[in-house]
Amino acid sequence: MDQIVETRPRAEAESEQMQVVMLGIGDEVFALNTMLVREIIDPVPATRVAGARPYLPCVVNVRGNVIPLADLRSRFGMAKTAATADTRIVVLEIEIDRDPVLVGVVADKVHEVTQISRADAQPTPRVGMRWNPEFISFITKWRDEFVIVPNMERILS
Amino acid sequence: MTTLDPVEVFRQEASDLFEALEGALLDLGSRPDDRELIDTAFRALHTIKGSGAMFGFDKVAAFTHEFETAFDQVRKGEISVSKDLISVALSAKDYIRALIEAPEGTDSIIGDAILDELRRFVAPAAAVVPAEAPSAAAAAAVAPTAAAARSRGWQLHIEFDRDVLRNGSNPLDYLDDLRKLGTAFATARTEDVPLLDELEPELCFLKWDVTLNSDCDRAAIDDVFMFVQDEMVLSCEPLTDAGAEVETAIEAPAPVIAAPPLAPSAPEAAAPLRPEPEKPAAAPAKSKGDEQRRFDDKGLATVRVQAQRLDELMDRVGELVIAQARLSQLAATTDDISIKAIAEEIERLAAGLRDTTMGARMVPIGSLFGRFRRLVHDLSRDLGKPVDFVTSGEDTELDKTMIERLADPLVHLIRNAIDHGIEDTASRAAAGKTEIGRIEIAAIHSGAQVLVTVRDNGAGLNAARIRAKAEEQGLIQPGAVLSDDDVHQLLFQPGFSTAQTISTLSGRGVGMDVVKRTIDAMRGSIDISTQPGRGTTVTLRLPLTLAIIEGLLIRVGEGRYIIPLAAVEECAELSAEEERVRGRDFLNMRGDLVPFLRLRDLFDVAGQPDRHQKIIIASSGETRVGLIADQIIGSHQSVIKSLSKLHSDVTMFSGATILGDGSAALILDVAQLLAIGANVGDGKHLNEAA
Repeated sequence: MDQIVETRPRAEAESEQMQVVMLGIGDEVFALNTMLVREIIDPVPATRVAGARPYLPCVVNVRGNVIPLADLRSRFGMAKTAATADTRIVVLEIEIDRDPVLVGVVADKVHEVTQISRADAQPTPRVGMRWNPEFISFITKWRDEFVIVPNMERILS
Repeated sequence: MTTLDPVEVFRQEASDLFEALEGALLDLGSRPDDRELIDTAFRALHTIKGSGAMFGFDKVAAFTHEFETAFDQVRKGEISVSKDLISVALSAKDYIRALIEAPEGTDSIIGDAILDELRRFVAPAAAVVPAEAPSAAAAAAVAPTAAAARSRGWQLHIEFDRDVLRNGSNPLDYLDDLRKLGTAFATARTEDVPLLDELEPELCFLKWDVTLNSDCDRAAIDDVFMFVQDEMVLSCEPLTDAGAEVETAIEAPAPVIAAPPLAPSAPEAAAPLRPEPEKPAAAPAKSKGDEQRRFDDKGLATVRVQAQRLDELMDRVGELVIAQARLSQLAATTDDISIKAIAEEIERLAAGLRDTTMGARMVPIGSLFGRFRRLVHDLSRDLGKPVDFVTSGEDTELDKTMIERLADPLVHLIRNAIDHGIEDTASRAAAGKTEIGRIEIAAIHSGAQVLVTVRDNGAGLNAARIRAKAEEQGLIQPGAVLSDDDVHQLLFQPGFSTAQTISTLSGRGVGMDVVKRTIDAMRGSIDISTQPGRGTTVTLRLPLTLAIIEGLLIRVGEGRYIIPLAAVEECAELSAEEERVRGRDFLNMRGDLVPFLRLRDLFDVAGQPDRHQKIIIASSGETRVGLIADQIIGSHQSVIKSLSKLHSDVTMFSGATILGDGSAALILDVAQLLAIGANVGDGKHLNEAA
């Protein structure tokens, strides 16, 4: 069964609280704003697109729409792994040039929906980062673990 | 969204009326004596005036009234239709349209100027009228009996359709109008009025007998009822001598007697109080027939639907077709007969629904052609080149989105044809051609394509001049070997223009490249053929619809792809011999060298190719390319899904579709592959040269 995540904007502004979905990709945990998430589905067969950029290698059929499937691993320099029983596709709606665009992101595991606070945000370290700092909105703490709040628009465009 | 703004409804209605009006006016140009056309134009004007006043477009009503008054003289035959009059009438029509669409942006000075001009045509009519009168007298002298019949008067039986009131007509107004023709004596006949509790207050049950004392002719009476003539039965008999005498006898008191029945409130108020139990048996049957006719006449059988809803419907149907394909696939793997039966049933229904929905989106191209008549009329006037504009195949249907997108390219092509194609009158005479040029626009179905042709009988393209210009602009190398077709395609290069002088219309070099781009975007193609001194024909080849294509499903490695079937010329097996020669990129297709592409290499597929490779020859116009795939699976009805914006950098695919198993398959962009194939060709030439 698909797990549908409700996108419920909890009056965020008031306390910098943000409702997020925790995704495990490789060894890292990413927190995605639930406002972006349309649905989370089981893996479906993907179609490779020849000539596409490496981080957007495939398209998939989601409810009659053909949407690109993004590979965050390649964007964050992680090795490819095979799908497991926990693998999910998280369908996001992001804005590219002010148009809403649907895109799927492969997650190795979807942990839970939770609240994080911007107040806990850690400054993104300028050095010692393997990743392009542009891809990261901020880093915060969740259960004593550092989680990355990615900037999806930057990552995908 | 469901509540329709009445003003919006009026605007839509008016825009239909404008189309009718413009069509009639333009037709009048070629058939100035056609009463039918004059009446159509007049009726359209009258309705615009009426509805305009009703919806608060007072300026529209006032202006249209003046226009109508002027045009009335045409209708009465007092002034004849001339080209100039039509031009003024067209600009008046444009002004009314502007008044309705953008009331703030219009200037009443323009309106006044147009009216002044209209009146100039009308004014001499006053002088004409008396001139006509003696001739009528002369006619009377020749045919005294006819004249006599005319002078006596008429006995009228007037029976309106029951729901005439619903359409906003008031029968009493018409009776009042009759009185303007002469003294009239009207009797209301109440035998059809039902019992009070059966009485439908919005229906008109009354009929009238009118004795009209007037020397008017039959046409004058018809004119009174012009706007309701479809909704009534009118019988007119000339008064017999005896009758006339009776009438003459009561002529003096007639207006007095006539007054009560014609008083606005009297008949309707009185009607319900006079029950009449019997209804004539014939009446219902007849009114049914009338209703049917009205349905046909007034287009009530059609419904306006927002285009967006049609698009949504098409999307849903597309998804249904995909879901159905998955069901069929599933059913094929089971032994359960009942599931198989349902799957088949649903397949049939889905196919039917798809065809119906596509049909609902189809619009005859004639609606587009109609717009160009005005364009041609104006251009031919501005450029001083008389042109006959001929259209054919107006019934050819195309997807509505394509019709919209075709408008601009066709405007460019028609402009070019008149501006560059058709020579001026002197040159035509010198070349021994008819003085009047000819532009033909035609549409026909040809398989899964529609061909739209714009043909002129002008001077034709001058290949040498195009070459010279292209060399000058650095588009081609001097002395390059080009076929005529290649030379013609240069016209579609951005910024290309051979016009010696830049006119207001063309010569700036924008346009033809836009045509090319629009047609390409619709997966169509453009062919040009020309005969020096005889004219040029531009043919646009277009797919029937943008939403669904007939595709050829192929397999390359693990991936499945769709090639639009319209582009597929033939399929063949790659012979073992051709297979072996790895270095060569050409096939010998019955003597023609065709460059080919190995899709496995192009798509970067790992692993070993299948043993028997297949070749698909794809073409567009004259260019061809062979595509080598592992397997040809078969034909596939492909619902086209555009690729995401994130994949806008992908060039080899024009879109995607969803296969029976629910996975996505990419649709090959044949134009791109042809371009890649052409590069292969160029490489070959270089190799040969080296």
